[in-house]
Amino acid sequence: MSVFDKFLAGFSFRGSTPDYAAGDVLEVMVTGVEDDGGVGGGTAIARIGDSTLRIEGAPADAVNTRVIVDVESWNETEHRGIGTYRETVGESAF
Amino acid sequence: MTDTREAARPAADGGEPPNGSEFGVGDESGDGPRIEFRGGKWASTVPLVFFIVWAIFQSGVLGIGDTNGLVVGALIGTTLGMFLVRGDWKAYADTIFEGMTQRVAATAIVAWLWAGMFAETLQVGGFVEGLIFAADALNVGAATFPAAALVLCGLLATGIGTGYGATVAFVTLFFPAGVLVGANPVLLFAAILSGAVFGDNLAPVSDTTIVSAVTQDADIGGVVASRFKYAIAAAIPAFAAYLIAGSVMSGVSLEGSAALRESANALGLVHLLSMGVVIATAVAGRHIVEAISWGLIVAVVFNLLFGLSSASDIVAFTVTEAGSLSGLPVVTVGEAAGVGGSLYSGAVGFFPLIVLTLLIVAMAQVMIRGGGFEAIQEFLLNRVATTVRRAELTMVLGTATINGMITINTAAEIAIAPYIARIGEKFNINGYRRANILDANTSALGYIFPWAGGVLVGYQVMVGPDGLGAEYGTDAMVVNPIDVVPYVFHGWFLVAIFVLAAITGFGREYIPDRASEEVSRA
Repeated sequence: MSVFDKFLAGFSFRGSTPDYAAGDVLEVMVTGVEDDGGVGGGTAIARIGDSTLRIEGAPADAVNTRVIVDVESWNETEHRGIGTYRETVGESAF
Repeated sequence: MTDTREAARPAADGGEPPNGSEFGVGDESGDGPRIEFRGGKWASTVPLVFFIVWAIFQSGVLGIGDTNGLVVGALIGTTLGMFLVRGDWKAYADTIFEGMTQRVAATAIVAWLWAGMFAETLQVGGFVEGLIFAADALNVGAATFPAAALVLCGLLATGIGTGYGATVAFVTLFFPAGVLVGANPVLLFAAILSGAVFGDNLAPVSDTTIVSAVTQDADIGGVVASRFKYAIAAAIPAFAAYLIAGSVMSGVSLEGSAALRESANALGLVHLLSMGVVIATAVAGRHIVEAISWGLIVAVVFNLLFGLSSASDIVAFTVTEAGSLSGLPVVTVGEAAGVGGSLYSGAVGFFPLIVLTLLIVAMAQVMIRGGGFEAIQEFLLNRVATTVRRAELTMVLGTATINGMITINTAAEIAIAPYIARIGEKFNINGYRRANILDANTSALGYIFPWAGGVLVGYQVMVGPDGLGAEYGTDAMVVNPIDVVPYVFHGWFLVAIFVLAAITGFGREYIPDRASEEVSRA
């Protein structure tokens, strides 16, 4: 990103429910676990604004870590998507 | 919209990437908190709550803006918490050390030390006098003096990174000149405070900028660039407001503009380049220590090259008796032996804040290990911050509330930073955005209310036997702190902009939008 782009970044009105598309690769903070009624304590999720991305295959201790996710599908009506865990790249600031 | 970004690890610039284990992440396993308190997890908040109450009493009620006093409050609070621990107190003591050794504290401390040296070197190099020359050269009159004060004090504060320092310098030199010309004293003082807000908020070497960036995992240069839009959006209407108010609120012309010329020095303006070097290199992504070091080298060269200061103004070894080395430019003879100069006083000036920061992060770590941090966080996320808009409003208003109570704004910022981080992360709000929300109200509210530290340091210059009122023999040189509250336009506009930004989504960025550059050290 150029210096000029750094000054202009975010210069817009951003909605509460960002949407993505299959094939996108995202770095997200894992924000919780969604109980899916199965065994193993549920599936990791990342809440991005008021949108939700389910992350399949994330480690059991993924909450509050930054992970790379391959988006497999996205429903723009419900602002929900499903992705696949690729790797962990960081942690929460605190 | 559809966001597509090929995620990649940020490029390192010499620091180790953040390790969450150093921030207590992942250590709160399902086995419960590591420290058991009598009274449950809420008892772990006692040290920090005691400190906040102390800070409110000291700075808010008594109006004592002494950071060393806050250190004592933090020490007592930390000690009190120990008596509430069930079982072995060793875990509590270990947690204090664990908190103090967090990278977030070390990063801020390192940046402060360099920023302090740079700021003080600009001060002894006549930067203020250069700005006063600019005001005189522009033939600033009574009506335009407040608007000029906003711009010039804003420039100084952006250069030296300390709003308090800029306030003291401008109230000492610029304020009396403006009052003598006929500017309204209340409006002029408020404009100086507005300039201090601008610089404190935007400067890469500002203590609040540094804290806001490193606590939110964002690089300082990127943070400065990303908050520029908010700063300008507040500064332009503030400038217009001072022009309008300056033309309708008159003062009493006492003397004329001669007072301005007494302290003006055009050469001091070369430090705009010193300031520009730091800003440009920081925004370009260089390590903040490197950026400030380049600026410091340029400032020292300018000082010596143009005779703006002597070598002993920068580094001075004072001895009590002349000897073979007393002919050196950095060795002086005085009544008491010691070390001095801008590098010394600039770094030492941050020592109280450094100690306070270590204690605050230690108290925060006690809350994390004791479960209190998580309890408050869960309450906020379950009851208050239930949508991203409400989360951002919670962050904005929470920061405003804490800063309204703890009037030494950096201390308030450090105390609330963990909540801004966690609440923001729960909605994947980008670190740049979190840092901007955190710093805006911290900067603004530190210079608005009559008990705010920024207001009080300016007021102290006006009162007392050595104050401006006594020196000039007129009450026109003394402004009641409560009178300036409505006129700190830039501060109020900055607060309003962030409330609107939270509601409308202006400037909102999510973590997937872009990664911060290497952050482990800003």
